[in-house]
Amino acid sequence: MKFLSFWICAIALTAHAADHGPLFSYATPVNAEGELSFDTGVFGRYGSAGTQFSTGSQVGYGVKPHVTVSAFLPAMFGSGKLPESRIISGSEWTAGTSWRFLDSSKSVGRRLESTASLAVVVPGPQSATGVLGELHRAPGVEGTLSVGVASRSHYLWLGGGYTRFAEVSNDRRPDTISWSATYGYRPSKLRRGLNEWDYRGFAELTGEHSGNVVKSGAIVPESSSTTLWLGPSILAIFKEFAIEGGVQGPLFRDVSESVYGRERIRFAINLSYLKYSSHRDSH
Amino acid sequence: MRKLVTAGLIGMCTLAAQGEYVQINMTVFGMDCPPCAYAIRSSMRGIRGVEAVNVDLNTGLVSVKLTTGNNVEMRQFNDAVEKNGFVHQSSDVWVRGTVSGSAQAPFLDVTGTRDRYALAPLASGMDLSRLIGKAVLVEGIVPQSARGKVADVLRYKTVAEAR
Repeated sequence: MKFLSFWICAIALTAHAADHGPLFSYATPVNAEGELSFDTGVFGRYGSAGTQFSTGSQVGYGVKPHVTVSAFLPAMFGSGKLPESRIISGSEWTAGTSWRFLDSSKSVGRRLESTASLAVVVPGPQSATGVLGELHRAPGVEGTLSVGVASRSHYLWLGGGYTRFAEVSNDRRPDTISWSATYGYRPSKLRRGLNEWDYRGFAELTGEHSGNVVKSGAIVPESSSTTLWLGPSILAIFKEFAIEGGVQGPLFRDVSESVYGRERIRFAINLSYLKYSSHRDSH
Repeated sequence: MRKLVTAGLIGMCTLAAQGEYVQINMTVFGMDCPPCAYAIRSSMRGIRGVEAVNVDLNTGLVSVKLTTGNNVEMRQFNDAVEKNGFVHQSSDVWVRGTVSGSAQAPFLDVTGTRDRYALAPLASGMDLSRLIGKAVLVEGIVPQSARGKVADVLRYKTVAEAR
């Protein structure tokens, strides 16, 4: 029962790890019209100054064939002193819209597409930890853009995002620029039918630069950070259900260890349920 | 094999003169993974009159078998594809209807629906004058249409009188 409660209360990871895309990275898939998607999972960041777990659930609904609205409700555990990240959400609630403004399907099983999203990020009931936990919190706005190719064999997505928080009581969370590149592959033996398990693997490269933290009107010294992460993830889908897991290690870190410690590993597990529209109509 | 299928479908359609789609094999572009196929299948199954749907991801072929006496229109299949964010191409169809118009400009009315096609031969033409006003089973191709539209031409391979 505790296990069940954990997953029900959990909310996933990031706004990007929806149903059948990569786990950490930005990607282009959106829901079909009338399709509901539910994601829930756990996301971890382990470092020398503690460990932080985020759990959360995301609900998405396709209002048009290329427009999806979604809401992400996280919860956070642990007391790690870690830098701001939008790739791995913390305790902020997020609601937004994704619009797949380019969708070109020129052959069987292949799509070229681009998706933009805009979301409002609102402080949740939980405070962050470390330097960020000492700030008065205010809402922010997050915009992302991703482009990519999907096919039966290969996937390639590139994406980026920018988040800016408002200032309140002379405090402000840092602006964050995030980017990602994902390559995915489905071996020929696994290009099977819709009634069988579908597997694909991804190599996910993600990076973030967060600016300085502003506290009481002054910049907190050495509070800016830049990191680059790389790691594999695997996605398995059976009909309406999907499970995805992955891990990332640092390629590059320009982070003050005295402020944030040394983040060593990131990992995530995500579960998805997709409720397809049955498209009931006659004439 | 195709001749056998055609012969079987002709046999089925001799039971009544009502117009209806019997089977539609539609090529769909853009489906890369099972959720894509599952979404298409769910949408197609939600159309009243659809008996079975099979989706082959590797060929992009969506095969729809319809129940006897259905009044499904081609637009509904196109909508099901478009609402899932994919692109429909041409469709192989087996459809019953009534030939109207003239020998020079024959049409197929899918009675019970609003679908009406100009009949054009896919290869060598047939003399359809003797079939005007009669119920027929047509095997042919409905070409790709723009989003939200249905082609108004049916390029027939065979036209057989339904007794």
